[in-house]
Amino acid sequence: MAEKNTLDREKAPIHRVADDAKGEPERAVPAQTTRKWAMLVDQRRCIGCHSCTVACKSENNVPLGYWRSWVKGIQKGAFPHVGNLYLRRLCNQCETPPCVQVCPVQATVRREEDGVVVMYYGKCIGCGMCIAACPYDARFFNPIRNTADKCDFCLSRIDNGLKPACVEACTSGALIFGDLADPSSEISQKLATTPTCVLKPELGTKPKVYYVQADYTLQGRIHFSDRFEDEILDYRQHIPSPGADYWKKGE
Amino acid sequence: MDAAVLYNVPHEVPWKVYIPLYFYFTGLSAGSFILSTLSTVFGIKRFKPMALPAAIISFILLLLAPACLILDLHQPTRFWHTLVPEYFNRTSALSYGSWLLTIYPIANLIYIYFIYVKYDRVTKILGSLTVPLAIFVHAYTGFAFALVRARAWWHSALMPGYFLTSALLSGIALLVVVALVMDRFQKNKLDPELYTSLRLMMVAILLVDLFWSGSFWLTLLVSTADGYASIMLAFHEKLYVWGEYAAGMLAPLVILLLPWTRKHKAWLCVASLLIIGGVFLMRYSVVFIGFDIPLS
Repeated sequence: MAEKNTLDREKAPIHRVADDAKGEPERAVPAQTTRKWAMLVDQRRCIGCHSCTVACKSENNVPLGYWRSWVKGIQKGAFPHVGNLYLRRLCNQCETPPCVQVCPVQATVRREEDGVVVMYYGKCIGCGMCIAACPYDARFFNPIRNTADKCDFCLSRIDNGLKPACVEACTSGALIFGDLADPSSEISQKLATTPTCVLKPELGTKPKVYYVQADYTLQGRIHFSDRFEDEILDYRQHIPSPGADYWKKGE
Repeated sequence: MDAAVLYNVPHEVPWKVYIPLYFYFTGLSAGSFILSTLSTVFGIKRFKPMALPAAIISFILLLLAPACLILDLHQPTRFWHTLVPEYFNRTSALSYGSWLLTIYPIANLIYIYFIYVKYDRVTKILGSLTVPLAIFVHAYTGFAFALVRARAWWHSALMPGYFLTSALLSGIALLVVVALVMDRFQKNKLDPELYTSLRLMMVAILLVDLFWSGSFWLTLLVSTADGYASIMLAFHEKLYVWGEYAAGMLAPLVILLLPWTRKHKAWLCVASLLIIGGVFLMRYSVVFIGFDIPLS
């Protein structure tokens, strides 16, 4: 896939597009020189099997007790009218990433050629600023590597023309991965014809992970309610303690 | 519609108590340094006896502060990466901060030397060059928070100003304690007027800090759901309400204003110690209440 596309890139001519509507002169639209990897998560198809979570952990050797990507489960309503909803969570590969903004050593950067936000583990000093600044809570300290870590669309796989592990593992075809810069790719076509949304659009991060039917209850905001304290206490209970060493048992 | 989170993955808080401690030490240091320059740069003779001790305290705290910062790193041996010009990130407050934290102690040390040899003209020039450094070295920590748009509790334009004034406050309070100790063991006593001016400065800055807090609360109360949740959570935290505000700000303010307590040195010492504790709690609550609001 990668090879084929490099060939395309060399051969592709410069398209000329006439902007008839405004009567402006022809302008040159350069042929595809860069990629824009993106993922579309179709929540309507997700059955909550967690295959993506498992595949991710296996592919990226994520230590026990930590997740690069995971599925959030939500139950809506009350019996007998109940909805079980799932939200696939992963790094949103923002176009204006808050984590890249705050990194003091440029250990995390957005690759210009394909828009993936990558980590340079050898540069990372482990200050934790990117973890604090990520609005999606997608970053964590990898206890074995002792640096910040995050989903990078399985960098070694996509660079070699494969799809990310989670996309390969998805049993119901809920995950679509592709190139937004290519208008004929499956994801571009789906995005053009389906109503989709991104998480926390108001932050202006321009995420590259799109969702179909990501319900507001799934989007991980705290709601205006009197019970928010319980919500936060519940949240605190689930944070692994910094001294936790249960991941070592599975080394 | 009622909805319950069945399962989710929150990640652990990346910072330990070293981070608020670090903010606290740089704040104390910047505050003491500015106090030291009051006589050497701004020519207020009354503060002359404080110039040298304040500068020395400021320098010692500056050695502790980066130590805390490095202790908190998960890769402490790589701390020098922040000083590699190629790695410099011009959008990161921390990048500027690590350079400031390197240059400022050096400038501070030279400044101390010239106070010590009583070379007033050079001291004045060096002092006026170092004052902006002292201000920035602390204001940048405020920017490190204010520039994080993910967390409503941090993402406030008030942060740098609030950090700066509370740094001054803690610096003055520490110097009052030091002056009281010096007075006790030195033969030539300090001018009682000195305490009056320090007390009035503390009162003024406490009022400014309370104003910042009020603006902060009001804007958060009518802010987004995250902002509202953080401020309501903060009001439920005993350490925040009773520690930071009641014991750390209101109690010292009352002690410093009431006619029958403000004259006594013992009460002045108590108020200063309360302020020193309260400013640490302010750093602590800024850092950790920010992490209490779930983002995913």
